[in-house]
Amino acid sequence: MVRNKSALGIIFPNNYDSLVPELTSIRSMASIPFASRYRLIDFVLSSMVNAGIDNISVLAQSNYRSLMDHLGAGREWDLTRKNGGLTIWPPFAEKSMVTYKGRIDSLAHIMFFLEKQKEQYVILTDTNIAATFDFNAFIDAHIASGADVTVAYTIEEIPAPARAEKQMGREMYFTYKLDENSRVTKVSINSQEDGLQNFGMNIYCISREYLINMVKEEYVNGAVYLERDVLMKNLDTIHVQGYKFDGYYGRIHDMKSYLDENLRLLDDENLNALFANCPVYTKLRDDNPTRYITGAKAVNTMAADGCVIEGTVENCVLFRGVKIGKGAVVKNCVLMQDTVIGDGASVEYIITDKNAVISDGKSVKGSDSYPFYISKRHVI
Amino acid sequence: MGKEIVAMLLAGGQGSRLYALTQKLAKPAVPFGGKYRIIDFPISNCVNSGIDTVGVLTQYQPFVLNEYIGNGQPWDLDRLNGGIHVLPPYQKADGSDWYKGTANAIYQNIAFIERYDPKYVIILSGDQICKQDYADFLAFHKEKDAEFSVAVMEVPWDDASRFGLMVADENDKITEFQEKPKNPKSNLASMGIYIFNWDILKKYLEEDEADPDSENDFGNNIIPNLLKDNRRMYAYHFSGYWKDVGTIPSLWEANMEILDPEHSGINLFDDDWKIYSRNAGMTGHKIGSGAVVENSMITDGCRIDGTVQHSVLYAGVKVAPGAIVKDAVIMGGSVIKSGAVVEHCIVAENAVIGSNAKVGVQKDGESFGVATIGPGVYVGDDAVIGSNAMVRENVKDGEVQW
Repeated sequence: MVRNKSALGIIFPNNYDSLVPELTSIRSMASIPFASRYRLIDFVLSSMVNAGIDNISVLAQSNYRSLMDHLGAGREWDLTRKNGGLTIWPPFAEKSMVTYKGRIDSLAHIMFFLEKQKEQYVILTDTNIAATFDFNAFIDAHIASGADVTVAYTIEEIPAPARAEKQMGREMYFTYKLDENSRVTKVSINSQEDGLQNFGMNIYCISREYLINMVKEEYVNGAVYLERDVLMKNLDTIHVQGYKFDGYYGRIHDMKSYLDENLRLLDDENLNALFANCPVYTKLRDDNPTRYITGAKAVNTMAADGCVIEGTVENCVLFRGVKIGKGAVVKNCVLMQDTVIGDGASVEYIITDKNAVISDGKSVKGSDSYPFYISKRHVI
Repeated sequence: MGKEIVAMLLAGGQGSRLYALTQKLAKPAVPFGGKYRIIDFPISNCVNSGIDTVGVLTQYQPFVLNEYIGNGQPWDLDRLNGGIHVLPPYQKADGSDWYKGTANAIYQNIAFIERYDPKYVIILSGDQICKQDYADFLAFHKEKDAEFSVAVMEVPWDDASRFGLMVADENDKITEFQEKPKNPKSNLASMGIYIFNWDILKKYLEEDEADPDSENDFGNNIIPNLLKDNRRMYAYHFSGYWKDVGTIPSLWEANMEILDPEHSGINLFDDDWKIYSRNAGMTGHKIGSGAVVENSMITDGCRIDGTVQHSVLYAGVKVAPGAIVKDAVIMGGSVIKSGAVVEHCIVAENAVIGSNAKVGVQKDGESFGVATIGPGVYVGDDAVIGSNAMVRENVKDGEVQW
């Protein structure tokens, strides 16, 4: 893969936190466990590292303990570097502290940093989408189009949770109208339009110099959000170019999509497609291999290391160290790290957070449209 | 400040009785237990025992081992002061030497040990599967005010004459050493793990090197010399799981034993004594809709669509629909195609077993052995491999090998 040394990465780990309040009450969107042994941020971090981007900033807003624990010094992503590497920017804790809201005010906080970097381009991205993204192709497209800002989008119908009434005034989804050259002519927030749309992934490429000038100018004018306060008002003067992403991706908008996107990986075709472009790195735990004991019946299931399975498992994604007792029946579930399902217990359509316990013989059922969530260390 | 103890890990062994498995790699680099290599055990024991300075003496086919150990990061041994260092034989101003024997290997690296100015040196073997607390061993060594201690295992008296035996008094003081004797006076077998006071070790290494008749071996030369001089020598009793996986049957057996930790005593599910290894970086494993998995260990990257019973599968193994894997050890990256039946065998890394091939078939009148398929070997469709076969070369479609 061609190394692209000329871009630095900036990740917004808390964007869209409020979509999955259960999972983000103790963590950020970026550190939500996904696909049996990863966290969501692993996908974008690994994609960047594999594209040769090794100067990456994480602009943490809140609930970032689990994220800091996960990232450490960035060693697993090969980001423990003398030059560049991984930098986590939590808000400055003082009385007059104002935590960041949008991209513009967050970037204003690290202006001194951005100004002294050497990379020519900046990649901005959220973490609510699991995909292996080819950033080199993205940067090449940005250069080729001569645009000021390039934004990645997928073509899909606006998902129901994004259209829901309660969404108004909370998180913002962006859809774009493009001209025949894929230049963005209109940006809409939380559009209710039917049919296929150009749905924003919130992955941007901007030249560093342009970004610095834009943030400086617009911050003074009271701009907070890049999309709402800057881009959509100035589409005639700012050349915003659309970049269609047609690879595999899993986007998290609510608990149902979290369950669905995990279980969708049980299809080999999807699993292969998600990991097709590059290896994905993650923090290691050095568990032993998973053990299937006599009596175990596992079908259509993905599991990480360290599990001990004695019961029946069907259509599930199991994270590290999950224990499934004798005679237990587990169907259509996502069980996070160190979940224990007791002997003879029966569960269906549940999502358990880390270290949750379903006691022997207990039965818990959610439904495919509304999975039942059991919080961290909770014992049923 | 000096280090209290430095570990020297003998990892130059060829492991010639593992045949096809050690053609291209040293025995300590042989994969074991689903996601480990043999050397992960002594290295992890060091880290778990608080030893942070480890020299690894390599000689035979060191490439895989060198690359595997790297900077020691998987074992947390990338240290500023100490850490893990691979020590191959090297050229000196007055000529160069291969390591002539175990003692000579340490002798040639006296300068390495001196850099850390240790009080004690522990000599470890890189080809045993064992979870052992060396800190406890060192405490014993200090308590006895010993100059030399050796870890010993009690073995059945009938087997005793196969081992190097330590004869010790009621205070564990060693009075005699018998190397594979006809009439054993003891059943305490040496595990080949020694703690020396560094000044004593250095003195005896130098004297041994000066003796032109010496084989430069710990068992044959250094220990007898220590005994002759009435040094303070003690036997440290170890009773946990220990296995020298030097042969195909013993390697296979040790892999099968991890499937039954309740009886075999080798428990890899021990949060307080983790065995660390370099990670394959693959996704979680996948059990398909038509798969059957019973009493087996499966790790990252595996895709199981066939039947797997009582087997250990390493990272990235694929078992196609309709294939049967039973009592088998399948190492990393190997592929078992549809309809193949793979039983009672070891399949090394990156091998391919073709459709409807049979591996581990017992021939009438022959004993039931552990069939072995070498690394990267392609076994053709419909081929038949006998249970005592040692396959190093590709096997053509339909070919039969006993």
